Formats: sequence, structure tokens, C-alpha cells
Amino acid sequence: MALAKQVLTRRQALVAAVAAALGVGAVRLLTPTLTNLSTRSGTDWASPLGSESARIMQLLRRATLGYTPAHLEAALSAGFSKTVDRLIETKPAEPPALAAASTPDGRFAVTQLQQWWVDQMLTTPTPFAERMTLFWHGHFTSDYRKAADNTFMYWQNLTWRRMAMTNLGSMLMQVTTDPAMLRYLDLATSVASSPNENYSRELMELFTMGPDNYSEEDVRQGALALTGWQLPRPDSTAPAPGTGRTLPVYASQKFGVFNQKRAFKGSITFLGKTGAFDTQGVIDRILAQPATAPFITTRVLQHFVTGQPSPSLVARLAGPFRSSKYDMKTLMRGVFTSDEFLAAGAYRALVKSPTEFMVQSARALGATKLSKLIVASGSGMGQTLFDPPDVGGWPNNEAWISSNTVIERVNFVTAALAQATSLPPSSEAVKHQLDGVVGPQTVSMLSSATDERTRWFVALASPEFQLK
Amino acid sequence: MKNEIGINQLKRRDFLRAGLVFGAGAAGLAAGYAAVPDAFARAVYAAKKEGITNDNVLVMIQLAGGNDGLRTLVPLADPTLHDLRPKLAAPMVSQALPLNKDYGLNHNLSGIKGLWDKGKVAIVQGVGYPNPTFSHFESIRIWETGDPTRRQVDGWLGRTLATSYDSNGHPLTGCACGATDVPGALRDLQATMTVIQEQKTFGFTGGTEVEAAVGALYKGTPGIYGALFDTAIATATETVATLRTSAASYQPMADYSDKVKLVYSSKNQLAAALQLAAELIVTGTGVKLLHVTLGGFDTHYTELSRHDDLMAYLDSAVSAFYQDLAAHGKADKVLIATWSEFGRRPKENASGGTDHGAAAPLLLIGDPAKGGLYGGEPSLTDLDSTGNLKYAVDFRSVYQEILGGHLGADAKTILGTTYDSVPFLT
Repeated sequence: MALAKQVLTRRQALVAAVAAALGVGAVRLLTPTLTNLSTRSGTDWASPLGSESARIMQLLRRATLGYTPAHLEAALSAGFSKTVDRLIETKPAEPPALAAASTPDGRFAVTQLQQWWVDQMLTTPTPFAERMTLFWHGHFTSDYRKAADNTFMYWQNLTWRRMAMTNLGSMLMQVTTDPAMLRYLDLATSVASSPNENYSRELMELFTMGPDNYSEEDVRQGALALTGWQLPRPDSTAPAPGTGRTLPVYASQKFGVFNQKRAFKGSITFLGKTGAFDTQGVIDRILAQPATAPFITTRVLQHFVTGQPSPSLVARLAGPFRSSKYDMKTLMRGVFTSDEFLAAGAYRALVKSPTEFMVQSARALGATKLSKLIVASGSGMGQTLFDPPDVGGWPNNEAWISSNTVIERVNFVTAALAQATSLPPSSEAVKHQLDGVVGPQTVSMLSSATDERTRWFVALASPEFQLK
Repeated sequence: MKNEIGINQLKRRDFLRAGLVFGAGAAGLAAGYAAVPDAFARAVYAAKKEGITNDNVLVMIQLAGGNDGLRTLVPLADPTLHDLRPKLAAPMVSQALPLNKDYGLNHNLSGIKGLWDKGKVAIVQGVGYPNPTFSHFESIRIWETGDPTRRQVDGWLGRTLATSYDSNGHPLTGCACGATDVPGALRDLQATMTVIQEQKTFGFTGGTEVEAAVGALYKGTPGIYGALFDTAIATATETVATLRTSAASYQPMADYSDKVKLVYSSKNQLAAALQLAAELIVTGTGVKLLHVTLGGFDTHYTELSRHDDLMAYLDSAVSAFYQDLAAHGKADKVLIATWSEFGRRPKENASGGTDHGAAAPLLLIGDPAKGGLYGGEPSLTDLDSTGNLKYAVDFRSVYQEILGGHLGADAKTILGTTYDSVPFLT
């Protein structure tokens, strides 16, 4: 113990000296109070959230995909609560149309789709909408491989952006009949004579209620009630280049069609009630379950506040969420204005996802042309857009940290800096991207670096910048 | 995905332009940087048993999504199968590679059938656990932790690393190949392990200077993720150094091909992952527990072609791996075992696929396996209330045999209790 104390003391001295020179804050010694000592280093980040500017930077880091000095300036002059209002109330900016989406059968390279979205993330005037679209993409997830039509994936992305801040009930009706989802979880091939359980199960387990809140019988009965949906009818066909074959062109109808002949007609017992439920009836039953609001609230908190939200916080936010008819604005406002969002313990309590890390890096550098690099770099960090690992979407926080992913994060910074033609002053990075709260190692590396590019490397590759 | 952007070229070229200069201070910091960060020093060594001294290796292959056991080990003579699977049964029965009068391997498992003929494939039938869950995630977690009550958070292989090996400072004792995150089976806060998605891109593009700078940057990192980050960087650095040596001295002695056309493509390059596993094994890196994954087994629709493709891919990758190990004189050390979160429903659905099931067979392949069928034959007429196969062997019986019989670890400490024995090892 004596040794440990000595080391920490030396570190503190070092921090104090260099921090003074750089004008940054320092880490503070914290007696570890958590039981899980082995995962902690003995010190914690000193929370700067007592100051309005740090609160705003944390809000922007978590609720958007990063900010330039100009964005930050605007938010600082508006203040925290007006910024929350602005984020939540501003209508999402539509991305430019993706021309490739009119390719027959959606047969265009997925990298075009990925780059189109990342370009939107890098340049959008409404970055909160992109952050929410990313959240829903991981929640109501589909992958381009099984959807087998990149136009469907494109539509799904447009849908989550438009609906991100509406309400859960509308979203559930939409996701059930979304063409990419109809393929991804097999509802398009489920018929009353032999229903496919895939969608029914994940609708309850992953999209709304979580495990243990329904029975296997509910899965089977729900599957029966959800039968009848098919893919939309194509508007036309077009020749497939070089094959002599024709492929369907989907253009006007962007949701599934209901075919009575394939649907189950009769009564089922689902989540405790018996009746002739159609798809809307199934969704209404799910929305009537006490598990639904806490489940969605927990998922949101894990992305925006803390990996392990307390039951009391969940309950406090889930109540108004449910009574507002599952209004997402109510939920998100509650999240951002909760005491827990700004609590010292929530400071740097989340790990940026690869997409957040890369897009925020680019925004910090003022670089708007990095989408190709960002798309190419996601896979090694564990996140390829439109290609989640499984129907559970992406895991978060500690799951982003492995020997492979840390190398890829560092390599991304190296490559991004090599592409940058001009750099903002690196003092910006410390003040406005790292809140001036910088650990002793980072301080030392910053002070020994001899040029701006290297200082930016240290800032973006630092542990501080991986966190939000 | 792989050939579209040319990230490697991008990285190399970009770094040449980057020219990062870390200054004199960085060298000093990096010099004090050890491959073992503080977190390791504080790890609980007291709990560690005598380290395992044999040099046996385990390779777990996860068939993610729920592998259809009835299409892997096919019942040849049960008429009920045709009633349950009017579309799927006939082709799989008529083409199967018979092992005896009752069972045959999927027709695309010809390489594994060749190993069976040499007595190197043990198949444990009817493996599962009580009150099965049909959730992918819950069942994966149960298999990973070895705990159907879901209280355990550490993985069974992670606990093995923590209790039985000196993984601290030797992060290559446990390795996930072809992945970006630590698989749940290997997870344990008291153990370290490495994750390598792809060998040729695994390394800092800035070379040793960036490597040293990052090592200095991630030292004593504060906060709840501090030790995890520091450990990941230290592990990465150590692994880069090991791979540099191993790649130079390894020559593959088999044809590994990932040029397979899968109907619903898997994200995993299984052959490349197994080739990396072979490299780590034959070059004496000290690797003991390896984990690789092949996804795409959630065959709710058009299962016929999709599952056949997956079987063929599994077969070619495993066959090459075994051949490579044998050519390097290491086949006697390595046990290959498959696992999947569940089997599939005996009755097919309207999409030409099958829904989530329960018990299924596991394959144990390699010289340490004693060829033959083990466990209990699942009955197609005596299904459980959900229409699924009843289990005959608890999956932890298989773990117990692997841990005690193959690795020489204390299975009871790792699994918490003892299970019925399944003597599938030589």
C-alpha cells in the first residue's frame, strides 16, 4: 500500500506541475469505494460538471456525434437547458437522396450506403437526429446481408431518422412492416399454417420487454397473430446489367403488404388476453405490459447516461414515458435533465462506440471528408454500419475494449491526421474535447510533443477521448 | 467488404505522411512502461492453483445462431423425421454419410467423416441443459458461463485462464481469433487474453514509435475503464511482438480457403481464423485456449442450401486446420470442440427453415478424441412441451471432460461441482 501511495503522490505532483503549464485540471485521488477494485486504477476522473460549459460539452458528446468550435460556441451561449430543448425540438434534417438506391433490387455496394450515412453524420445541422438514428439502428436492427436489398436498408435508415423522436407505438408498427425487417426476421415468409417465430420472439425479447416477461406460448401465439405480411410489390422491373435477367425495382411503397390469405384468422391468447388480435392488437398488448417502458428506458440510459442505471432512475423515467403514450421527447428530455446525467459518477462513465469515436474525431478536427476512412475503419473496432453482429445490435461500453479494437482506434487517428490538410490549434482539443480534465500520462505526452499534429494525435488517441 | 477500400494501403501511405514526433519526454515515459500495468500487479494471485504444466491446446468453435443438430448428425432410419420435416428431411437423409445404420454425418462433412474413419471424431449426442431458454442471448450466456441460473458473469474458459494459467503478462495464453471483442467464454476480470481479428492488419501503423507512445499514454489510466484500457494496450503490444516472430517462422502446410459462397454469408472468416490459430500453436507462442466463431446458423428460412453451405465451410476449414497441425507434428496436442447455443426445432416451419430448439450434438475432433458416439440418442417421438428434443447430457459434462481430461485443470473448481462423466478422450 505504501508503494501505491507513493506512486500516486508522485503522479499528482507531476500533474500539478504540467497541468499548471498547460492550464488544465488534474485527476484527483479517490478512495476506491466500489467493491470491484480489480477493474479500477485507484483514481477517478475529477468531474468538472460543476461548470456549465463542462455540462454542455458532456451533453453534446453524448447526444450528438461531436462538435466543432462553432457548434460549441452556439451551445455555450444558449446554455444547457435551452440546448436540450433545441436538440429535442429541432426537426431532423433530411440527408440528400442516395442516387444508388434506385438500382434494381437494391444491388449497389453497401459501402455507398455507409458512406452516405457517415457523410450525413459529418455535415448535418441536426446531429442529435443522427445520434438517435444510430441508437435505433442498433435497437430495431437489421443487417444488409440478410435484408439482401440495400435500398430496403436505405429506407430503414430514413425511417429511423424521421421517427426517432416520435413514439414507441408508431415505431413498432413501422418496424413490423419495414421491408428490411420483414426479411431480416423472416416475417415476410411466415404464414398461418406454419408460422415463423423469429420476429415474434425478438419483438418481445429485444425490441420491447426483455426476457422473462413473456412465455414460450406467447411467442407462438404472437407469431400466429403476426402472419400475413409480405414484402411490398415492386413498381417495375429493370434489366440486371450483363445478365439478361430482370430485377424488381422497389420505389413507391416502402412498407409491407398484408395478405389476408396468409394470415391467421381466429382467436389467440397473448400476454394474458384472449381475442382475435391483428398486428396492431399485438403491439397494443405489448405496450400495455409493465415491462415495456422500463426496458426501453434502460436501453436508452445505457447509451446516454450509465452502463448500469439504478432501478430508481429507470422507474422515475419509465413512468412519465409510459403515461405520455411512449413519447420519445418526454423520455429523452427526462434523461438529459436528470440529476444522474450530470452526477460526478456519470462523468466519463461511457465508452464511445467506434462510430461516435471516429465521427467525433473528424468533427473535432473540422474534417468533413473522412467518410471513406471512417467506413473502412469500423470493422476492426467492432462496428460496421448496417451490419450488426446479431439481432441484439451492438454491445456497448467495456465490450468495445479489446487488444484488437484499441490498435484500430489508434490507427484511425494516425490515418485521419495524415489526411488532414490543416489543423485547429491543439489547445482547443484539451480545452474543448477533453474538458481540461487530463490524466498525468496524457499531460506528459502532450507537453513533450513537439508539433501540433503530434499533440492532436495524443489528444485523440488518449483514453480521455475514448470516453463520453 | 474486404476488397472495397484497401485500408492497408491507406494506412501505410498515410503513416508515411504523418511523421509524428513524440519528443524526448515520450521516450522516457515509454521506457518506464511495462507490459504489465498496475491492474495485473494487483490481481489476486492467491487464488491461483499450481499452473498447468502440460502443453495441450483447446480450440472452441462457436457455431453461432443455433446449429441444427438433426442436419449435422442425421438420423437415417427414423420415419418421424420425414413427418416433422416434409421439405428438409428427404435430401438430408439420402445424402448423409453413414456412420452406422442409424446415423450419418451431413453430406458436406466429408473431411470430418475422413477423420471419423480414423477414430479422431467423438460426437456427444443430446447435449443441453434443464429448462432450456430459446433466446439466443440468454442461451449463449449460459453456455459461455456454464451457468443456467445466470448468476455467473465470468466465462468458463476465462475462469480456467484465471485459476489455472499464468496469463498475466502472457496474454496469448487465451486468444480469440477472427474477432474484435472478447468472447464471453473467455471473459474474466482476473485474466488477460488477446483478440486478433486479422493477422495482417494487427499492428500499429506508426510502428514502434507510436507503439511506445501509446504504451506510455495508457498507464495508470483513471476511471472505471482505466485498467481495461491499459490491459488492452499492453496486451496489444505484447501480441504484436509475438505475431512478428510467429509469422516469420510459420509456413502453412494446408490449403485454407475463405473463398466460399454462402447463401446468407457469415461475417466470419473461419478458415483465416483457424490458420492464425495454427500459427500460434505450431510456433510455440504458449497459446492454450483458442476461440473462433462461425456465424449464420440461425436458419429460420431456406435452411436447405444455407445449412449445407455452412457445413461445407466448417468442414473445409477444420480439415485444413487438422492437416496443418498434423504436418507440424502438433495434432496430438490439440482438441477441437464445437458448441452452439441450441439446436433447432425438429418440426420445420413454413419458410423452409426451423425455429429455435434445444438439445443437439457436439463434435470433438482431433487426436485427443476417442472416436465414437456418446451421450443419448434423442427421441423424435418423445419431445418436450415446446416440441423440442430432450437433452441427455448436461453440457457441463463435456466441459468437465475437456477441463480435467484434456487441459489438466481442476474442473470442479472451475465448474463449481461435478457432473456425469462422458469419456470421449483417449
